[in-house]
Amino acid sequence: MNMFSSCMITALVILTLPIIMSSTKLYKNKLYPYYVKTATSYAFMISMIPTMMFIYSGQEMIISNWHWMTIQTMKLSMSFKLDYFSMIFVPVALFVTWSIMEFSMWYMHSDPYINRFFKYLLLFLITMMVLVTANNMFQLFIGWEGVGIMSFLLIGWWYGRTDANTAALQAVLYNRIGDVGFIMAMAWFQLNLNTWDLQQIFITTNDNFNLPLLGLLLAATGKSAQFGLHPWLPSAMEGPTPVSALLHSSTMVVAGVFLLIRFHPLMEHNQTIQTLTLCLGAITTLLTAICALTQNDIKKIVAFSTSSQLGLMMVTIGINQPYLAFLHICTHAFFKAMLFMCSGSIIHSLNDEQDIRKMGGLFKVLPFTTTSLIIGSLALTGMPFLTGFYSKDLIIESANTSNTNAWALLITLVATSLTAAYSTRIMFFALLGQPRFSPMILINENNPLLINSIKRLLIGSVFAGYIISHSITPTTIPQMTMPHYLKMTALAVTILGFILALELNLTTQGLKFNYPSNYFKFSSLLGYYPTIMHRLTPKTSLTISQKSASMLLDSIWLENILPKSISYFQMKSSTLISNQKGLIKLYFLSFMLTMILSLLILNYHG
Amino acid sequence: MLKIIIPTIMLIPLTWMSKPNMIWINTTTYGLLISLISLFYLNQPNDNTLNSSLMFFSDSLSAPLLALTTWLLPLMLMASQHHLSKEPLTRKKLYISMLILLQLFLIMTFTASELIFFYILFEATLIPTLIIITRWGSQTERLNAGLYFLFYTLMGSLPLLVALLYIHNFMGSLNFLMIQYWIQPLPNSWSNIFLWLACMMAFMVKMPLYGLHLWLPKAHVEAPIAGSMVLAAVLLKLGGYGMMRITTLLNPLTNFMAYPFMMLSLWGMIMTSSICLRQTDLKSLIAYSSVSHMALVIVAVLIQTPWSYMGATALMIAHGLTSSMLFCLANSNYERIHSRTMILARGLQTLLPLMAAWWLLASLTNLALPPTINLIGELFVVMSSFSWSNITIILMGINIIITALYSLYMLITTQRGKYSHHIKNIKPSFTRENALMTLHLLPLLLLSLNPKIILGPIY
Repeated sequence: MNMFSSCMITALVILTLPIIMSSTKLYKNKLYPYYVKTATSYAFMISMIPTMMFIYSGQEMIISNWHWMTIQTMKLSMSFKLDYFSMIFVPVALFVTWSIMEFSMWYMHSDPYINRFFKYLLLFLITMMVLVTANNMFQLFIGWEGVGIMSFLLIGWWYGRTDANTAALQAVLYNRIGDVGFIMAMAWFQLNLNTWDLQQIFITTNDNFNLPLLGLLLAATGKSAQFGLHPWLPSAMEGPTPVSALLHSSTMVVAGVFLLIRFHPLMEHNQTIQTLTLCLGAITTLLTAICALTQNDIKKIVAFSTSSQLGLMMVTIGINQPYLAFLHICTHAFFKAMLFMCSGSIIHSLNDEQDIRKMGGLFKVLPFTTTSLIIGSLALTGMPFLTGFYSKDLIIESANTSNTNAWALLITLVATSLTAAYSTRIMFFALLGQPRFSPMILINENNPLLINSIKRLLIGSVFAGYIISHSITPTTIPQMTMPHYLKMTALAVTILGFILALELNLTTQGLKFNYPSNYFKFSSLLGYYPTIMHRLTPKTSLTISQKSASMLLDSIWLENILPKSISYFQMKSSTLISNQKGLIKLYFLSFMLTMILSLLILNYHG
Repeated sequence: MLKIIIPTIMLIPLTWMSKPNMIWINTTTYGLLISLISLFYLNQPNDNTLNSSLMFFSDSLSAPLLALTTWLLPLMLMASQHHLSKEPLTRKKLYISMLILLQLFLIMTFTASELIFFYILFEATLIPTLIIITRWGSQTERLNAGLYFLFYTLMGSLPLLVALLYIHNFMGSLNFLMIQYWIQPLPNSWSNIFLWLACMMAFMVKMPLYGLHLWLPKAHVEAPIAGSMVLAAVLLKLGGYGMMRITTLLNPLTNFMAYPFMMLSLWGMIMTSSICLRQTDLKSLIAYSSVSHMALVIVAVLIQTPWSYMGATALMIAHGLTSSMLFCLANSNYERIHSRTMILARGLQTLLPLMAAWWLLASLTNLALPPTINLIGELFVVMSSFSWSNITIILMGINIIITALYSLYMLITTQRGKYSHHIKNIKPSFTRENALMTLHLLPLLLLSLNPKIILGPIY
């Protein structure tokens, strides 16, 4: 018996304590956010012990404790899988969440329901932990749905705003489409393999895993906002910035990629699904990178860049490198969360101004935020020896050297180049040049809650990639030899993107504002996807449900065929057969005649 | 079984002899005590059945429904207090007596061991329900609704009587416990097809099957709160219960007779849930959502596999509690806004935050959030229909999506947004109401910890 499992469980239990405490008086306390933050940091530190042990000795573990139920031949019990993926991801997620919670203590300090906000964040974190450590599909599904619902609640945090509600509903809808795939995969596994346990799924062989893998791919598409189901992610920026930093960059949205990584033992021999994943990822990464180019809302740009990075992770899975994709998840969490926090800092300082055209010159008034934003952007673009480099460069290299779909590869390279372009755009417009914001605003970033939380992630963005990639045990053998030009591709396209974007941005200052071209409109209107899909489909389906389901079928046909027609025929036939026609005079006349007749006859008879 | 039936009968004198200010509290407490007795039946020590007498028995299919029935009476009483506060005392007592009478009939229906006895009680439950709907409904349309309710269910179930007499004639018995050993496979002939139809249609109308469901939204909309609650929670489940009991008689005809009804249910489930998307009337939305959920139960019962039976049983219990809770919430809105139109209640979260929490939880259980028993029920049904035919996953998937959509649409429309001026001076939520919602949620949550007690006899 060692401390591996007990430390892990302790870390998870610590997270639940503030939730349990929320029924006590403590919840009304002003210090509740502080408690939540501290609990998360403790959980992080404790979870580092098993992670260290894992890194040192490579031990993995499964905890299977509470037997929930056995349905005929299928046993369902609560079990945690503490393997490579969960052991690395749990501390990363806890670390990021810890910083974000500290950040939200600053960002949300004026919110009257800040305690509830922290409870929601913590609940989300718990469901995420359930998702990551789940050992069977049912438990995974609990976490999967849990993060979806918490995302609904957190996006719709400012519930008075219609946009926030719409965005929340949109997120649930797209996630729900993915859930259908998940449920289908569950049904398939149950039917064909008679198990939901991951180990048992992986040891059983079946000729054709296409159907469940398609389901899982659909699920991942929904959760990780891949092409087709991607519009919810930029809309989700309606939520508070800490929520965007936590859910929509570092943890929840990577759940889809994480799911595919979990199931890669089934995927690694399935060419069809791999190709599909590759193409899906490539299309996503390009399209969202294009969309990011022309956005003016700083959060939207970061959101699209998240979407683009998620596409890159999908590409990595598509070229059969799940471990690399996982590494990218971990490194991405640091700098993307920090980018969101920096934009949160800017937005808050400028009185809720999100438009980068109205910023400018922030490097003088917000020096710390500027530094972090630049480092985060450089890390995002894969600047050598920053965090992003260690995963992104490897991804591009292994994509370059694998015999993969050349188009998908090319698309990915273009998207990588665009990453540099839109990062430059943020830096150029928000940080450099002359101030374009109102001079009356009092700008102050010197709040320890803000500085410390960003600083922590800043250190992470610089060193985490190095630390993680050098301490984990090597899994897949990286490509050792390659021509020079292939080795330099990733760097070259990025630098190209930087230079191009810088030149273009500089020229914008001297030029007349042209009427937008069609390419510009394509990009700024998000590829026309929301315009088409968010107008046409709901309109048709809602019209169908109103016109045909409700009016035609329910109120007309079903009503007329049974009740109305029966009563109609009854009425008609009864009036037809009945003697009573309402002819009062005639009835009285006949009545009188019979009376007179009978009287006469009876009288005479007597 | 008498230890439940006699206390239930004695509730009636309790109602009439209680002091005017004690009628609600007395009956509610007493009803809760009765429901505690019924919990004992959930423990089915042997795999078979618990025979109480020649007339009554309970097994793991009827015991959860029995517990649900007895659990619901105190909840109904708690829910209708405000609604009846302006009525004279005698009418209050009459109302309570009707609810008690209904519970009595329902208990006996769920535990009857003889099919004819079951049939008589099945019909008898119509009477108190009809009185509740037509006497205490709020609008004149209640008469029409009562008419629809009575005639749809009567017309559906009259052939069943004939069929039962016929079956009794050639089998010699209609005892559930006996016929499962005596049963012969029915030969395939036209008369047997009609026999199948006669046996199943009664329950399909009650469920209700899509196409025969018109009575349900009308009855739900017009009924007073207790009527809606009991209708959604228990009366619809009579149909599922009856179907699960009687399908044992009808093999192997069900194998091919199921197809049209399966299609109709799968189609109707999507149709009714898409109707929900366009409802403006809160109660009507919940009623249509019931139809859509019950379509899943019909599909599950017709597939006839162990998983589908487990799913159907779990879904019936889960839906009973959830939809009853939704009706309670709708009623608490109605008592404040005086309208069932959803948009008039928007922004209520600002004013009644605790009520918003109940709304949230109820909507989440309605859309089958794991690990609630609603999910267990739905998941099992989806699994079994997937194994029956892979293509059904498309329809099931669409239904899952739409269910989530309308549940959250309902939540957002009633709770979120800016509140309007006319709701500024509404009453805060009462302890009674909060207790009512808790008592709905508590079983839901506790059952998710140990769902096997509601998974039916095949578990």
